Amino acid sequence: MNAADSHGAAHGPAGSAPPFPRMDLRFGHPGRRYEPGEWVTAEYTIDGLNGERPRALERSALWYTEGKGEEDLGVYFFERVSTPETIDRVVPEGTFALQLPPSPLSYEGVIVKIRWCIRLRIFFDSGRDHVSEHVFTVGRVPPSILP
Amino acid sequence: MRLPRFFTKKRGHRRTDSQAWGSFAEGLFYALLVGAGVVFGLLLVTGAVTYAPADPDSVVLQRGYEWWMWLLTLLMPVALLAFGGSGLVRVVRTWGKSQERRAAASGAVILEGIAGPSAGVAGRPAIPSCDNLENSPGIVLRYRLPLESPENWSLVGFGLFALLWNAVVVVLAVGVGADLIGGTTDWLLIGLLVPFVVVGVGGVALFVRSVVLSTSVGPTHVEISDHPLVPGRRYDVRLGQGGAHLFRSIELGLELEETATFRQGTDTRTQRIVVRRVPVSGWQRVQPVPGGIFEARVPLTIPADAMHSFSSENNAVQWRIVVRAQPDRWPEFIRVFPVVVLPVTAADVGAVPESVEAMG
Repeated sequence: MNAADSHGAAHGPAGSAPPFPRMDLRFGHPGRRYEPGEWVTAEYTIDGLNGERPRALERSALWYTEGKGEEDLGVYFFERVSTPETIDRVVPEGTFALQLPPSPLSYEGVIVKIRWCIRLRIFFDSGRDHVSEHVFTVGRVPPSILP
Repeated sequence: MRLPRFFTKKRGHRRTDSQAWGSFAEGLFYALLVGAGVVFGLLLVTGAVTYAPADPDSVVLQRGYEWWMWLLTLLMPVALLAFGGSGLVRVVRTWGKSQERRAAASGAVILEGIAGPSAGVAGRPAIPSCDNLENSPGIVLRYRLPLESPENWSLVGFGLFALLWNAVVVVLAVGVGADLIGGTTDWLLIGLLVPFVVVGVGGVALFVRSVVLSTSVGPTHVEISDHPLVPGRRYDVRLGQGGAHLFRSIELGLELEETATFRQGTDTRTQRIVVRRVPVSGWQRVQPVPGGIFEARVPLTIPADAMHSFSSENNAVQWRIVVRAQPDRWPEFIRVFPVVVLPVTAADVGAVPESVEAMG
């Protein structure tokens, strides 16, 4: 699964809080596969705000580990837009671009996996937040299998 | 407002329920520690002041404690205050901040407002340092790789165990000897001493065996023509194996090992698993020259699709050159020489694999 949504802090019981927005992100490469050092361009749209005003939007590109070990996280790009003057320029749609670092590459190991993703996290005045994660691949390292 | 669930799935630092409730509970825990420290400290301090019944208008100050006694007495409340206070400060500092924002604050560039992409992190993120691998020049090739042998740690472990265990045995033996000299026989103590002596002798035997094993087969040296390594390129490797024995076989190979550190209850465990083996060369029935060493120089090609070396706080992907040898009359031994493999860059893609020549 390439995109996953989840909710953060303080949200009410089902039916009493407004529904969470839907955040779609389109990568410049349809296959979502990039080489290290390559530019990643992305366009996103946020639907379903229902008139609720966002307080801030965070856009980040990061790698994280999956597998048997504790999760490690490395944020390569982080941008927080939180002023009233600028929030309208990034919500409900926006674009951004970043140049990937030479490492780490995406990796599908046996007990260690490395994934790259772009996360969009929107914060509302009510205190709740919503995050959307969009995975992409860096490099062409084949999956590892036990010898 | 939805109430928090008290029984939620938890694995290490990962939380599956509300971050806000988790942070609140964490803050409450640290606040309770601070409160306990304050109350405990006040009780100890005010306990030094007493009331004199014969003279109700006066207060008697007890100054019976020495300074070191005060330090000892206040150790517990000060520890509670320090632990609780630092935890409380950390919870307050991270309150309401996303996981990405916290991670970015500790390393990457934070851009406030609308801005372009960060200029990029200098160097190669998450690639382990090569400093420790390149500080020793080789005799023939450029670098002599350091040995990372599990045998050495076993040797240290056996030595420490034998030392500590036999120290306990000596204390028990002195007690038994004193009893015997005094004319009494404590059979319970003697009965306890016997299994302790058996384990102590066994520990010494294991240690001596490990020392003999590690010294009798002779040292292993590995030199390499260049470092760090790049996928698709070829390098020269020089192997030197000392020892006066016949080796039934010696194998030189390249291995990729994954390491994952995780918490299981209150324990921290590390699992290692080899996920790729690349044979480089092998020799049968090797007899080193008397007084000399067996030497071989072979080419080593890093697979073009190799994963690069990776290291983070709890996870690692490491390449290593491994020497497996089977002496004629001794158990097989394995010696490991870590190396760092860099990721393929755009300049490397499509480049003709080249040989890196030896540099004396």
